[in-house]
Amino acid sequence: MKLLVCIKQVPDLESRFKPDAAGVWYNETDLAFRMNEYDEYAVEQAVRLREQLGEGCELTVLSIGPDRVVEAIKKSLAMGCDNAAHIQDAAAYSKDPWQIASIISAYAKERNFDIIFTGMQSQDRGSAQVGVIVAELLGIACTTTIVNFDYDNGTITAKRELEGGIKGVVKLKTPALVTCQLGLNVPRYPTLPNIMKAKKKEITAISVAELLKEESLAATTSFHPPAKKGGGIVLEGDIADQVEKVIAILKDKTAVLR
Amino acid sequence: MNFELSQDHKVLQSAVRDFVEKEIKPLAIKIDEDHMIPDELVKKMSEMGFLGSYLPEEYGGAGLDMLSYAIVVEEVSKACGSSGVLISAHTSLASGPIYTFGTEEQKKKWLPALNTGEKIGCFLLTEPNAGSDAGGTATTYTRDGDHFVINGSKTFITNGGYLGTGVLLASFDRSLKHKGISAFIVDLQSPGVTILKNENKMGIRGSYTTAFAFDNLRVPVENLLGQEGKGFNIAMDTLNGGRIGIASQALGIAEGAFERALAYSKERKQFDQAICEFQAIQFKLADMWTRIETSKLLTYRAACLKDAKKNYTMESAMCKMHASETATYVTKEAMQIHGGYGYIADYEVERMYRDAKITEIYEGTNEVQRVVISKLLLS
Repeated sequence: MKLLVCIKQVPDLESRFKPDAAGVWYNETDLAFRMNEYDEYAVEQAVRLREQLGEGCELTVLSIGPDRVVEAIKKSLAMGCDNAAHIQDAAAYSKDPWQIASIISAYAKERNFDIIFTGMQSQDRGSAQVGVIVAELLGIACTTTIVNFDYDNGTITAKRELEGGIKGVVKLKTPALVTCQLGLNVPRYPTLPNIMKAKKKEITAISVAELLKEESLAATTSFHPPAKKGGGIVLEGDIADQVEKVIAILKDKTAVLR
Repeated sequence: MNFELSQDHKVLQSAVRDFVEKEIKPLAIKIDEDHMIPDELVKKMSEMGFLGSYLPEEYGGAGLDMLSYAIVVEEVSKACGSSGVLISAHTSLASGPIYTFGTEEQKKKWLPALNTGEKIGCFLLTEPNAGSDAGGTATTYTRDGDHFVINGSKTFITNGGYLGTGVLLASFDRSLKHKGISAFIVDLQSPGVTILKNENKMGIRGSYTTAFAFDNLRVPVENLLGQEGKGFNIAMDTLNGGRIGIASQALGIAEGAFERALAYSKERKQFDQAICEFQAIQFKLADMWTRIETSKLLTYRAACLKDAKKNYTMESAMCKMHASETATYVTKEAMQIHGGYGYIADYEVERMYRDAKITEIYEGTNEVQRVVISKLLLS
């Protein structure tokens, strides 16, 4: 079995964003970067499957971007991925989902992965397109926003989150791609011994020019940082109403009540 | 010259930070109130590899370096000074000397259980009448066949209450002063070991600070650490490395208090504006941050020198002295910025203020650090 997990490094969303010089994306100066949250669920699920399948299974982690993304790659290796592909691209931020998906599918095409894991979306661009376009380009099955994952003998059984708290179960034959949602699992911490072991794992660097043959289809033309926030949401009404509103917010925005 | 952490160190820092945020930070107030770190947390920290960070993999350690160790202690101490010193004393003062001075057999026998947290380590040097003056050690030993027999008492032993593995200093002839001292590896579950008490302290209340009595404690001769009569040198070398751990703990405490003070100064409004708009608060923040940054540079530098196997005696003394004085200063100012709320336990800076003070005292008082630094300057 060959598994692939695709990750992106994104800025800490609590940072203060400023437009870059061209005004089309954020300025990276002074931002702290970390692995996209949804991709952490993808890595965790891929590592769990890797452990379930044992010997003979190989899990590769892929990330596109400048040198800094190697930090996120190394974290994935410390969590249990076997090896990595770093698609070197200092201008990854300027590429649209079509181009990013084209790069990933060009990498994956000849390598015949059985299952590809991605996050549901990135926390910064948030298009939620990359995973599904990769599946389409590779001509493989795909399901999105999964909150539970099982694999047995060539079949994936995934629970999907629908709107309004409704869930659905889908079955799909491999090869397949799944996009991972909050609530799927609790990602493990990379332990110190595993961080050490990760140093010996291979990271293959590939220039983006080798893989990207597509023009962008949608260009971001301007970037607008959020207005300075006020004091959060103030709930009003009697206590019972307020409790209901809090529960609704917790259900909608977090995993604590799922 | 490059002042950036390597990518590997950044990965480690962020992994430790995530763990601390979720697993330690929510427990810090309770650890202080209960005077103990929950066993479950000690287990989780062991599983993370926090108790064997720089010890080699062949002895069950993580195989990382001294800088990684400093980062671990710093990040943990941002949330909980008690947990920080557990790691520091365990690693620097017990595993450290066994690794540096032990025979291959001793390393194989004692280090795996320490590195995986099965045993918690401590360093039994201080006595009621021998603190900074370690040459005054009054605990004695005699040889009896294939055993040494130890009698005496030790006090202020960090991690002692776990009754794990200790490195103990004792003298065979008190008139020889420091030349009469030898070091032993002891299993504190042995007959003849009595805990007199775990001290009730001002700060780092989750950390055991234990007083012991030893009554005919029999230690097999193979547990002698290094050569007989060389215990004082072992103690001094051990404390040298240990100072990097305490500097990291102090640095973490200072950073933890600073983070809270900075956030609070932006939230707290008086006279229709956030208090961070007042220059009185701005200048405090500037002074606090500058001292934190200088402490960090000194501490990381001492760790890097040790990693490079260069002499780091002066640097470890300087980083311990400066970071600890930074910790007491920053926590005091953080409390002041919080005003009355700073004095309330829920806001945590009062605990950090209490936790900070000990870093100026243990692992060699700051007066001893000044002796070390000035001696080297004048030698």
